[in-house]
Amino acid sequence: MAPKLNRMVEHQNTNLDRTYAALSDPTRRAILSRLMQHEARVTALAEPFDMSFNAVSKHVRVLERAGLVRREIRGREHYLSLDATPLMEASEWIDTYRAFWDKRLGHLESFLRRNKTGKKERTV
Amino acid sequence: MGEIHAATQAEIRIRKLLPASPQEVFDAWTDPESLKVWFCPGDTMRTEAELDLRVGGQYRIVMHAEKTDYIHTGEYCEILPAQRLVFTWRSTMTHNEDTLVTVELYPRGDQTELVLIHERLPSADVAASYNAGWLTIVEKFAAYLR
Repeated sequence: MAPKLNRMVEHQNTNLDRTYAALSDPTRRAILSRLMQHEARVTALAEPFDMSFNAVSKHVRVLERAGLVRREIRGREHYLSLDATPLMEASEWIDTYRAFWDKRLGHLESFLRRNKTGKKERTV
Repeated sequence: MGEIHAATQAEIRIRKLLPASPQEVFDAWTDPESLKVWFCPGDTMRTEAELDLRVGGQYRIVMHAEKTDYIHTGEYCEILPAQRLVFTWRSTMTHNEDTLVTVELYPRGDQTELVLIHERLPSADVAASYNAGWLTIVEKFAAYLR
C-alpha cells in the first residue's frame, strides 16, 4: 500500500471513531435529523424528546465533540446547527479501501494480460 | 450523493471482468510468485510472500518500500479452486484488526468476473447497527446537500 494512503487512513481513524460513536445512538440521530431541516435553540431542540433537558444536552455535547454540530451563542440563546464535514470524511475513509482494491485489481488485470501474451509467444 | 450513502456501508463490493479463466485468476491469488508481481504498489522495491494455502493456514505478505515495510497477514477460511477464496486480512490499513475478504470467480465466456467483498471494516460494528432511521437521515442529508 502506498505510504500516502496509509497516513490518510491513520489520520482519519480517531475522528471516524468519534463520528461513528456519535451516530450510533437513536436520540442523537433524531437530533441531527431535526438540525438538517434548520438550526435550533437547545431548549427548543429538547422539547419533543421524552427526556430531561440535561439528558438532551449530554447528547448534544457528544455531537459537538464529534464535530457534527456547531454551537453559536447569540445573546442569551445557544443555537445549534449541523456540520457536514465529519460525514464527508466517513465516506472518504471507506473510499480509501475501494481505491486500494481498484488499484490492485487493475494490476491483476495487466498481470493476467501479460501472462497470456507470454504464453502465446512461448508456444509459437 | 452516492458518497454520503457510502458512509453507511459496513463493507465494500467490487466487480471486475478479467481477461483469463477462473483457474488462472485463482492461481494469481494463490501462487506466491504471481502475487509478488501484481500485488505490490508502485513504490515497493521488494516483496516477500509466504502462503500456507489450506483452510486455517496463514499467509504473510511483506512489501519493502523506500521508507517503510507494509505487512499484510491473515488466515485462509475457504479455498475452492477456480471459484472462491475467503481469507482474513490484517494490516496497518485495517488498524491491525481482522477484516474479511471474499474473492468469488464466475466464468464469463473466455473471461472471468471477479467479485471482491471486503467486510468487517474497522468501525463496521457501529456502522452495522445503523437502522432504517439512519438511512432516512442520509437520504435527507443528501437532499439537503443538493
